[in-house]
Amino acid sequence: MPAKVALKRNPKKNPLGRVFVGNIGALAIGLKYFLDPNRITLLYPHEYIKLRQGYRGFIVLIQDKCISCSSCARICPARAMKMLSVKVFDKRLKKEMVKKFPVINYNRCIFCGYCVDVCPTEALYHVPYHDLVYMNMQDMILSLEDFQKEPENVSAKEGIPVRYVFDEKRGLVKIKQEEEKKEISQPVEQTKQQESTKQQTNNPEPKSVNKGGVNQ
Amino acid sequence: MESSTSGSVVPHLPGMEVSELSKNTYEVYIGPAHPGSGHMRIIVEVDGDIMVRVDPDIGFVHRTMEKLAEGRDWIKNIPLFERMAILDACNITLPYVEAVEKLLGTEPPERARYLRTLLCEINRIASHLYGMGIFGVFLGHSTLYMWAFGDREVFIDLAEQMSGARLTHSYPVFGGVRRDIPDDFPEGARKATRYMRNRLNEYAKIFLNNPNIRSRLENVGVMSKNLATELGIVGPNLRASGVRYDVRLNEPYEAYGELEFEIPVFEEGDSLARAWARVEEIRQSLNIIDKVVDWLEKHPRENFMHEKFWKTAPKLYKDVYTGQIDYAGKYRVKLMPLFASLKVPPGKAFARVEAGRGEMVYYVESDGKDVPYRVRVVSPSFRNVIAFKYLMPGHRLMDLPAIYGSFDYFPPEWDR
Repeated sequence: MPAKVALKRNPKKNPLGRVFVGNIGALAIGLKYFLDPNRITLLYPHEYIKLRQGYRGFIVLIQDKCISCSSCARICPARAMKMLSVKVFDKRLKKEMVKKFPVINYNRCIFCGYCVDVCPTEALYHVPYHDLVYMNMQDMILSLEDFQKEPENVSAKEGIPVRYVFDEKRGLVKIKQEEEKKEISQPVEQTKQQESTKQQTNNPEPKSVNKGGVNQ
Repeated sequence: MESSTSGSVVPHLPGMEVSELSKNTYEVYIGPAHPGSGHMRIIVEVDGDIMVRVDPDIGFVHRTMEKLAEGRDWIKNIPLFERMAILDACNITLPYVEAVEKLLGTEPPERARYLRTLLCEINRIASHLYGMGIFGVFLGHSTLYMWAFGDREVFIDLAEQMSGARLTHSYPVFGGVRRDIPDDFPEGARKATRYMRNRLNEYAKIFLNNPNIRSRLENVGVMSKNLATELGIVGPNLRASGVRYDVRLNEPYEAYGELEFEIPVFEEGDSLARAWARVEEIRQSLNIIDKVVDWLEKHPRENFMHEKFWKTAPKLYKDVYTGQIDYAGKYRVKLMPLFASLKVPPGKAFARVEAGRGEMVYYVESDGKDVPYRVRVVSPSFRNVIAFKYLMPGHRLMDLPAIYGSFDYFPPEWDR
């Protein structure tokens, strides 16, 4: 079933339609949206879009999981990620040794996510936000300590979270998260909690590892 | 070039084009920074307000992409080539991926082909809406500009759900794709296509059938079938002149051979036909999205990456795909570490797709190293820009934006 050609012509105009129907039609549509507009404007500092998990935002390192393979630094298309030699205390061998860990330069990063996808131990992950301001260029070159912390979500402090959902009549509709929470009934939340507990059992060290896992 | 006036000789310097002006004509420089698409200059010689000679002057956003590609690993070129036209990112990088796949001897599995088709069509709609918005603002119709850019947001949002980024998706990789669609994607996609179909009728009412706009576009910049084929025009502009040529039709790639859809061909070849061709193409793309989403829902979530790469995947990779690791997201296809130092067997490959603006061609040559020996890119805007020189003379200066906008010319794509 390959594609087939459909011959078409410009819609015809009749002399009456040109002056009358065309103008009236355009004005009627204009009037319709004047009275009932589609609004997708975001009042940015007061509201912010809560992006879903899987959005390619800022990147965070979990140092305990890193095996110093430097795949991330090799695949980086913008050469934003570099390996840094650091003296660490190895728990298994019980001695101090020099290991390499990635650090990132956000001046160069293009957020393609190759480093996160190529990491064989899932030691890197994206946080689902990207609106962050650095005071100078030097701050954008992160140290190993900074790279392990999730960057502060500044817009979450000031604004209220908002989500856009698809709608047949309006295209995108803005929904405030507080309103959304009321709509979600109790059983859905329970299943969500069950799921999260399941995931925790499968993976005994979730996000919290990045806080206390620095061995230097 | 004629370089002599009566008596004196016009100096001919290297890299400088000197042309003689005839009597009673003026040269008008439109651009390089003009309130339309990217940086691009049109040198127009006017007699009164009739255009006598039009010279599109290109190269203001040249970034030496072909040369840069020769110094980068194979996979690193995908985010680079995306920068040609970030609003059409999947279509622009797909032929490069296909060409390298030909060299590697891998063919993407069926599900990956459908996923690529889906993002290509989403990109095509977003690209056409962008072009229509610019077209509207060229004609002073700022309502369409706002509408088209607002509706483009719907499809950018769909692309973001699929790939994790709004514009620079870097979605296809050698042997497959980088992500599968999320669970709630089909529902959202169906709502978006239903919305857009209604919306296209409203576009026709306020813009294309609006008498003010029609009188500016009808019989303006008429490109005959012969002229279009002679100049090598591609894409919707070619099909608006009555030529039945589309890569999806002539040489089906990815999943296009298995899908049923129409390719609209218009007879008139004027600016209005080019605008209508885009609207009809959006309508067909919406049908394709519906069909592909149905297909993806029916079939199981497996075979998204070529076996050659995926068979060595450890358990963790499968856990990430099924969403077992809570911070890592779901349906993410991990890249093999060998991608970072991929060596492609020597050979030459050629691939083409139908991008939003027309035929996109890549020629890739490898000499067995971890970087390409040569990558040649021929982008659709490069082939469309020459039409300005032959279509515009004879029209009034006010018709320049009507012709320029109808061609949906995008300078960064040609300049590379």
